[in-house]
Amino acid sequence: MSFEPTIVSFLCNWCSYTGADLAGTSRIKYASNVRIIRVMCSGRIEPTFVIKAFTEGADGVLICGCHPGDCHYHEGNYKCLRRYHLLQKYIQQLGIEKDRLRLEWISASEGKQFAELIDDMTETVRGLGPSKVKEVMTTYT
Amino acid sequence: MAKEEKPKIKLAVYWGAACGGCCVSVLDVHEKLFDVVAAADLVFWPIALDIKYKDVEAMPDGHIDVTLFNGAVRNSENEHLAKLLRQKTKVLVAYGSCAHMGGIPGLANFTTKDELFKRIYDETESTVNPDKIRPQPEHEVPEGKLKLPEFYNDVRTLDQVVDVDYYLPGCPPQTERLVEVFMAIVSGAELPPKGSVVGALDKAQCDECKRKKSDNKLIKKFYRPWEIQDDGETCFLEQGVICMGPATRGGCGVRCIEGNAPCRGCYGPPPDVPDPGAKMMSAIATMIDADDEEEIAKIVAQIDDPAGTFYRFSLPGSMLRRKLT
Amino acid sequence: MEEARIGIYVCWCGSNIAKMVDVEAVAEEMGKLPNVVVAKNYKYMCSDPGQDLIVSDIKEHKLNRVVVAACSPRMHEMTFRKALENAGINPYLFEMANIREHVSWVHTDRDKATKKSKSLITAAINRVLYHDPLDKRSVDIDPATLVLGGGIAGLAAALEIAGSGKQVYLIERSGALGGYAAEIDLLAPYMNSAAQVLDPLIEQVQNHKNIEIFLESKVTDISGYVGNFDAKIEKKGKEVEKKIGNIVVATGLKNFDPAVIDRYGYGKLPNVVTAMEFEKMLKIGKVETKTGKLPKNVAIIHCVGSRNPDYHEYCSRICCMNALKFANQARSILPEANIFDLYTDMRAFAKGCEELYTQTSRKDVLFLKFEKGDLPTVKKAAAGDDCDMVIDMHEALSGEDIEVPADMVILMTGTEAHDDAKDVAHLVGVSMCGNDFFIEKHPKLDPVATTTDGVYIVGNCVSPKDIPDSVSQAKAAAARILASISQGSVEVEVTTAEVNEDICCGCQTCIKVCPYTAIGYDEEKNVSIVNEALCKGCGTCGSACPTGAIRSKHFTDVQILSQIEGLMSLEV
Repeated sequence: MSFEPTIVSFLCNWCSYTGADLAGTSRIKYASNVRIIRVMCSGRIEPTFVIKAFTEGADGVLICGCHPGDCHYHEGNYKCLRRYHLLQKYIQQLGIEKDRLRLEWISASEGKQFAELIDDMTETVRGLGPSKVKEVMTTYT
Repeated sequence: MAKEEKPKIKLAVYWGAACGGCCVSVLDVHEKLFDVVAAADLVFWPIALDIKYKDVEAMPDGHIDVTLFNGAVRNSENEHLAKLLRQKTKVLVAYGSCAHMGGIPGLANFTTKDELFKRIYDETESTVNPDKIRPQPEHEVPEGKLKLPEFYNDVRTLDQVVDVDYYLPGCPPQTERLVEVFMAIVSGAELPPKGSVVGALDKAQCDECKRKKSDNKLIKKFYRPWEIQDDGETCFLEQGVICMGPATRGGCGVRCIEGNAPCRGCYGPPPDVPDPGAKMMSAIATMIDADDEEEIAKIVAQIDDPAGTFYRFSLPGSMLRRKLT
Repeated sequence: MEEARIGIYVCWCGSNIAKMVDVEAVAEEMGKLPNVVVAKNYKYMCSDPGQDLIVSDIKEHKLNRVVVAACSPRMHEMTFRKALENAGINPYLFEMANIREHVSWVHTDRDKATKKSKSLITAAINRVLYHDPLDKRSVDIDPATLVLGGGIAGLAAALEIAGSGKQVYLIERSGALGGYAAEIDLLAPYMNSAAQVLDPLIEQVQNHKNIEIFLESKVTDISGYVGNFDAKIEKKGKEVEKKIGNIVVATGLKNFDPAVIDRYGYGKLPNVVTAMEFEKMLKIGKVETKTGKLPKNVAIIHCVGSRNPDYHEYCSRICCMNALKFANQARSILPEANIFDLYTDMRAFAKGCEELYTQTSRKDVLFLKFEKGDLPTVKKAAAGDDCDMVIDMHEALSGEDIEVPADMVILMTGTEAHDDAKDVAHLVGVSMCGNDFFIEKHPKLDPVATTTDGVYIVGNCVSPKDIPDSVSQAKAAAARILASISQGSVEVEVTTAEVNEDICCGCQTCIKVCPYTAIGYDEEKNVSIVNEALCKGCGTCGSACPTGAIRSKHFTDVQILSQIEGLMSLEV
C-alpha cells in the first residue's frame, strides 16, 4: 500500500474553516489525509502547536488564515505570517523539509481552492515520504 | 543538657557532561560552606573527594538524601551514574541548565556522533590521524582490556534517563539560590511537589529587570549585541537585540542584563510552558514590524540562528530535541 | 478536578453522514476510550429527540463533558451548548467534531472517512477533558442605532427603529437620501412611480425627531462591541462621535461598467446606453438618440456583466424585470418603433413578474434568445443601412445567425458590490464573499445578522435584490435590533483572554498586539490587564505572550495540544 501522509491543519474560524465548510456543502471531494483544528484566528496559531503536530507524527502541517487585509480581527493573519517565516527557518535548521509546513490564505468563499490545496499538499507530502520526526524524537541513540 | 544533634543529611554532587561551572557554583557558597558541612555530610563529589564509583555502588538504596546532578547525559558513564545515583538517592536534583534542559553541550544535538568524531579525530587543524582511528569502548592491550565509556549520538537531559525530583536551573545556578534550597531541605520544611523547578521564580526576568521598558516592542531590524551601541538603560528588545528575558524565569538576579548583556535563557521557561524556545520564537516573530511578506522574510533573515538562539540552553529538553539526520 | 465523565454522540444526519461514515462502529470504538461513559449514535442529533437524548444522559449518567460528532460547529455548536445548559451543566464543557462538512461530504472512501471521523472525535475527547466552565457575561445595550446608507433599505430600517422611539443616526455618503431608487422613473412590475413610493419615505425620515441625518458623511472608525459601539462620523471635515448599540449596514450597490465588454461598444458607439442612463431619459421624458432623433429600433440586451464567468457569475436579479419595464415604457413613448429584447433566460420569479412578462410579450416586443457563452455583438451599421447600429447574434430558438437593427441599445448592466465594500467590511468587522458582498451569519436561518454581534447587513450590499426584498431585510434587521434594545442587555463573548498575574512579568509584548486596545498595563503590579469588554477573543495575544501568562479561554495551549495528540493517536 502506498504511503498515506497525515496532515494536521490549523484553520481560522472566520475565513478558512468556513471555506473548508463550503467545500463540504458544495460536496467538493478532496484527499482524506487532512485533520483540521479550528482556532478563532490564525493569530492564535503559535509555533508550539506546529512543533507538537510534527512530534506527534504529522507528515505535514498546514496553516490557513484569511487573506491579507481580510482578517476578521484586522491583523491576526499578519502575526501568523511573521511567525510562519521564523518557524520555517527553525524547522529547516532541525532538518525538517520546508514543504512539510505550509501557510496559505483561504477565504470563506474558497471551498474549491481549499479542496485543491489539500490535494496538492497531500501529494507534495506523499512525495517527501513519511516524516521521521516522531521516531527520531522518541528514540535515543 | 546537651543539645540533641540533628542527624546530618547525606549530600552527593556529581557531574555528567558539564563544564565544571556547576561544581564551582557549589564551591562558591564560600563561608556558608560551614553551614553546609554542619548540616550535611558530603558522601560523593568526584571533583572534591576521592570516593570511587564502587563506593557508591556499595551504598544501600536511598542512602544519599540529596544528590545535585549537574551536566547532561552524553555517554554511558553519565547514564550509569545517573541510574546509580537515582537508586541510591532520596531527592535527586537536576542541577544547572545541562541536567535540566541539556545546556550548552546539548547544542551537539544539531549534529551527530559521526560528524563530531570526524571533525575531532580527523579534521581539526592540529590532528594527525591518517588511519582514522576512533576511540573504542573496549581495547585489548597486553596488560588487559581497556574500557572507555560509549559516546552516544544524543545528548540527553537528566530526566530523559531517570526520574528527577527537582530542577534547580541556571548556567550555573546562582549560589544563593542553592543555599536557600539546601537550607529549606535541611530545615525539614515541606517540599514543593515533585517535578518542581526550585531556586527560581515563576515570573520571568523582566519582573526584576531594571531597564526601561514600554509597549513599544516593534522590531524593524534585529541587531547582534555587537552591532549596536547599547544605551545601557532601554529594554534590549526595544533596541532590536534579542533578549530571552521575557521567556526566562527570574531568580538569577538578572546578572547578564545588569552586565549589559541580553539574557540568553539559561534559567529556562516559566511554569507550564511546554517547549522552552517556542514561546519566545512566537513572541519575537510577533514583534516584527512589517506586514509585507517580503519585508517580513528580510527581517527574519537577520536572525541568523533561530534554533541556537531560542534553544541555546535547552535543545535536548525541547520538543524537537535534535536535528533529523 | 472531578473525574471526567464524557458522553459521545455520533450523528447520522440522516444519510448525510451515515452513508460515508460507519457511525455505529465509530460510536462503539469511541465508547472504549478512557473517561467515556456513554457513546451513542442517532439519526439526527440536532432534532429535539436528539437533544433530549443528551439531556437525559447527562442526568442519568452524571456526564460532565459532552462531544457531538455531527456537522460543522458553525452550524450547531450553539444548539448543543443550549442542550447542556438545559441539563444543568456549563455549556462550554462541550466540543464538536465536524464529520459532515469535513468528512462525509468531501471524501469518497468509507473506510478512510470512518477512520478520519474516529481521529477527529478522539481529538475532541482529548480537548474537552481540558475544557473549563465559562460564565456567561452580558452587557447593556445602548438604545441608539447607526444606519450606514441612505438608500431605500437604510431609510426603511431607520424609520422602523425610530418609529419605536429609539434614536437613529443615518449616514449617507452622497448629498441626498434615496440611493438608486431616487434615479428611477417607474417600478417594475406594477409600473408605479418610484418618486411616489420614495418621496414620502424620505420626508418622514427627514422630519423624524428620532433620526439624525448625516449627509456627505462617512464613518471613519467604529470601536467597541455589541451594545456599546463608538462611532466616529466625519461630516464635511468635522468629526462627531456617537455611542450606539447596534449597526445596520445598508451601503448598497454599484452598477457594472459595461465599457469592459468590448463587443457592446459602450463608450464608442454613442447610442449604446446603460440601464441607468436610459432610466434618466425616461425620467426627463425624452427618449432620443444623441443626434436628437426618435429611435426607430430599440434593442435591450440582458445579463450585461451578470451570469458570465468573465465578469460576475451571479445573477443580478433585478435586470430582467427592468428590461421588461423598459420595453413597456419604450412601447408607450415610441409606438412605431421596433423593440427587440435580447435575453438569455427570462427570470420572472417575484410577485407580479411573470404577469409582466406575459403582458410585455403582447405589446409587439420581439424576444430573441442568445446562449450564455455566445454574446451578441453591437457594431456600427453600414452606410446606407436604415439604422444606426446592427447587432449580430445567434438566435438560439431558431438556430439562425441574424442581424438586429438598432438606433438605441440599452445594456441591462448588472449590479455589483460597492467600491467601498472592503472599507465598510473592515470598519464594522464583517466578512466578504468572493464577490465582495457581505456574508450573513447564516444564509438561510439568520440572513440579516453577521458573525459580529450587533452588526446587521441588509439590501444590495449582501446580494443583488429588488426593493421589496431590501425593505424586508431592513425591517427584519430593525426587528432584531428593537428586540435586543427591549431586552436591555445581551450575552457577549466569554472566550476572552486573561492574564495570570502570578506569571506575567510586565514585558508588555502583548499590548500593541491587540487590535482592539483591550490590553492595558498596570504599572503598580507590573502586569498586563485585559479589558474583557473590549476583547474579542482572537487569541493573538496568547500566542505573543512569551511567558504563557496570557490564556486564551477555550483555546488554551493545553486544550489545543491535547487535541493534536488525540488527532494523531490513530493511524490514517
